[in-house]
Amino acid sequence: MNGHELTWGIPVILYLFLAGVGAGALTASASMFLRGGPREHYFSIARYGAFMAAPLVIIGTGMLVFELGSFQTGHWFKFLNLFKVINLSPMSIGTWLLTWFILISIPYAYTFLPKNAAPGDTFDRMRRLLAWVCIPLGIAVAVYTGVLLGAMPSRPFWNSPILAMLFLLSALSTGVAVLLLINTVMNRNNPDPEIKQDSERANYLLAESDTLLIGLEILVIFLFIMYAHLSVGSQREAIRVIEWGGELSLMFWFWVVFIGLLIPVAIELFHTIPKIVSDKEVVLHPVMSLVIPVFVLFGGYMLRYVIVVAGQITGPVGL
Amino acid sequence: MSGNTKESAKSRRDFLKNVGGVAALAAGAAALPEAAVSRITKKKVQYGMLIDTRRCIGCHACSVACKSEFDVPLGFYRSWVEYTEKGSYPHVDRSFLPRLCNHCSEPPCVDVCPTGATWKRDDDGLVVIDPDICIGCKYCIQACPYGARFLNPTTGAADKCDFCMHRITQGIEPSCVNTCIGRARIFGDINDPNSEISRRLGKNPTTVLRREMGTHPNVYYIEAEQADESETRYRDGYIRVTTHRKEKKRV
Repeated sequence: MNGHELTWGIPVILYLFLAGVGAGALTASASMFLRGGPREHYFSIARYGAFMAAPLVIIGTGMLVFELGSFQTGHWFKFLNLFKVINLSPMSIGTWLLTWFILISIPYAYTFLPKNAAPGDTFDRMRRLLAWVCIPLGIAVAVYTGVLLGAMPSRPFWNSPILAMLFLLSALSTGVAVLLLINTVMNRNNPDPEIKQDSERANYLLAESDTLLIGLEILVIFLFIMYAHLSVGSQREAIRVIEWGGELSLMFWFWVVFIGLLIPVAIELFHTIPKIVSDKEVVLHPVMSLVIPVFVLFGGYMLRYVIVVAGQITGPVGL
Repeated sequence: MSGNTKESAKSRRDFLKNVGGVAALAAGAAALPEAAVSRITKKKVQYGMLIDTRRCIGCHACSVACKSEFDVPLGFYRSWVEYTEKGSYPHVDRSFLPRLCNHCSEPPCVDVCPTGATWKRDDDGLVVIDPDICIGCKYCIQACPYGARFLNPTTGAADKCDFCMHRITQGIEPSCVNTCIGRARIFGDINDPNSEISRRLGKNPTTVLRREMGTHPNVYYIEAEQADESETRYRDGYIRVTTHRKEKKRV
């Protein structure tokens, strides 16, 4: 594209997306579990999140290994060199963070594994303890994905302190979306009216949190573009790629912003405003509780795609 | 008796605390100077190169010599020559810009390496890669503002110019310098005031590439054409850069 070679391709994009969703799901799961809610009805949501987080991050991290030059030339286990050092490279810190994430999120999921898992069972203490660790760990992994890209002055499109914030918000938003999706799918035909009501309440809470997260994400995108636009030199030139007439502008504004952010937030606001303004009991329509997460997840993937590609087809200006 | 036990337990805790403190201090002391001080203090030797583009005829002999010296895989270059054409007829010019790793004094590629496979040598200032440690994550390739690095498809590790380390440590010039028919390349220790490169650096106006990146390159140019295609956005006129690489545009 544009005569530039893409050094990091689809595996890295998928990793950034999957690790973001996993980290967001774990953070959302742990915080919902710790919050409990009336009659502990957030427990089942926390459970879905716990089961999703580790596999998503493990698959994402596996993608990274496929992208390695050493792996592609048959040195299958050379990546273990990463574990021989700790230095200030964001990738080194990220390696250790991901390792701890996987090591903590698996036992956390394990505490939810028994069929009769419920608040107050034998695993409760351990589950609670792990949940407290999971929240900062999830946030750290989500932030690190942005730091990884943002740490290089040679890639002006990425070299913004707010990129990590954007990735964190997107991770939390897509993490919440995945919980919303699973909760809707799992409880769609539940005959028990009490569980059905609990599930709908949880869906509403998830949509409400997502409204806030998407709102902040839109703000951060605005700041990201504005500061680059008002800058001079390399950053100014780089941001053109998603501005009007840029190579990736359609992809960014239509798929990321319109489909991935504006449509879901509009649906969410349609449901949350009546509740906030007049305290009406609102139930998220089952179709909408599928449409929102699908759009949010797709937007999250496209965000990673556009950012990873844009950073590589732009560079320092002049020589 | 019980008092005694408490006492000993306490002192044991104190002892552990002290040991922990000392260990942390030692780790800090070991980690800091290496990273921070070595870069600030002047090194004994800093190899560098001065390229006099007035003497370059764009023959690519350096690129070829480099490729054969290292058996660089097809499609990749440790050293290459860019052509810049500019102007409107009849006021036109074509210039040649030999490129290689700048062996920066503040190398961004080293900062991002997660395995410690690339580092700046303290004794001669070379930025080198150990392909046996490198896992090929390509982070350094992203971080280099000069596009000097590539992933070697044979080794699966990052690769780039190392100023012909195997030659210069034996007292022989790098192969690109040795082969240059115009004697456009001067190689030597820029910290030695009597070296040829230092004398020429002192007597000529020189530039480095992308000074604003703050990398403090150790490859200097005399009369380098630094026009770039991106400038045509702001002014009329023809500028075309031919990189002679897979990357059709400058990184």
